[in-house]
Amino acid sequence: MAEIIQQSSGGDGKKRAKKLSTRVDMTPMVDLAFLLLTFFVLTSTFSKPKVLRMIFPEKLDKNNPQVKQPEVKNGLTFLLTKDNRLFYYNGSLKADNPPVEINYRKDGLRQVLIERNAPLIKELKELQNKMAKVAAADTAAKNKIEREAKDAQQKSSLVILVKPDKDATYENVIDMIDEFLITQVAKYFVVDTGFDPLERKMVDEKLNQ
Amino acid sequence: MPKVKMPRSAPSLDMTPMVDLAFLLVTFFILTSSFRAPEPVILDPPTSTTEIQIPKQVFLVMIDEEGRVYVDITNAAVKSKVLKQIMSEFKVPAMSEEDMNNFGGVGPVGLRAAEIPAFMALESTDRPNYEQKGIPYDTAESKIKTCELYYWAYLTKIEAHNDYKQREEEAKLKNMEFDKSNYIQFAIKAASNAKYDKINQVIQIFREAKVKQFQMITGLESAPN
Repeated sequence: MAEIIQQSSGGDGKKRAKKLSTRVDMTPMVDLAFLLLTFFVLTSTFSKPKVLRMIFPEKLDKNNPQVKQPEVKNGLTFLLTKDNRLFYYNGSLKADNPPVEINYRKDGLRQVLIERNAPLIKELKELQNKMAKVAAADTAAKNKIEREAKDAQQKSSLVILVKPDKDATYENVIDMIDEFLITQVAKYFVVDTGFDPLERKMVDEKLNQ
Repeated sequence: MPKVKMPRSAPSLDMTPMVDLAFLLVTFFILTSSFRAPEPVILDPPTSTTEIQIPKQVFLVMIDEEGRVYVDITNAAVKSKVLKQIMSEFKVPAMSEEDMNNFGGVGPVGLRAAEIPAFMALESTDRPNYEQKGIPYDTAESKIKTCELYYWAYLTKIEAHNDYKQREEEAKLKNMEFDKSNYIQFAIKAASNAKYDKINQVIQIFREAKVKQFQMITGLESAPN
């Protein structure tokens, strides 16, 4: 694409100032620009990683016996163990209430959570519908609905404990928490004490079957 | 027969707009991209459906599948300050001021305090070859407050607060708006197949350092319908 300057050789012997073209050949510059462009396009990453927010309570003072464990009425405990295996039980663990094995997939864990959390999911859905009907400019009404949603989450009776043992992986725990977000579970805790002796025994029995 | 004279002109194209466009794009990419410091490990974090963006400034703790821990602070000034205090805490002979300041830009490190001067003395091209064994941590009751990772977390928490206050004051003096979201937050990035046990130990150290809220960095996964 380089320009070919044509020399017109006038043979009339007159001395004339040569007319130089003011055009610059831009091709190398374009090459360079696109090279840089390609480099930056290929090396840049667009999507920043996302984060899961976690809040852990402050450490309990062991010398302070006043702190009581809250009583859990509608409790569900998940036991995470090796080879991506997962068990759960309702309320408290007894011989006639053994841990049940489920999987991390949509038809396992999520199904259980949706069933158990149905009242809250329904309530939040209703509030969401209400929100859709409110005029966009009406912030007072919007705030009110948001407060109601927060209240509903506060009042929700479902409390879930997650107990990973030493063989559970990080991915297992993140998968659990992610399912809680999907099914809008409001109260869940990741327990750091590992399994109780009874839980250990019953889960081991199941694992060895 | 008269000759038909063909107009002789070179096939030329005005490329100026194309160059303009190309350089505009180059400028855009240069300005928007930030170069990532080389990381000592490549981690593959688990995915989640959350849509919360990573905070602008983080104290990042990386945990690989072996349980080795690496830390990074995205604010270079704060990182240098924290390093200075760690060096004096563990009685490591001081490094040159230059190395101290350069430390802010070397990316995540998983080194004992005693190893850092030797690491910084290397040419920057040789640093990736240095074997990093991870920052020591031990969560046994008697040792948790003396392990190196605890100092990293604790000192960063203090320096993050100081940095925030300082910037707030500066903004006030200059009468500018203060960006409150720019607070250094704690984040954990761990390999999917890392044992939760190891992550739990790091969380215990965070809690010991009075850090209650932190972020788990995850990959992106599309939300279910």
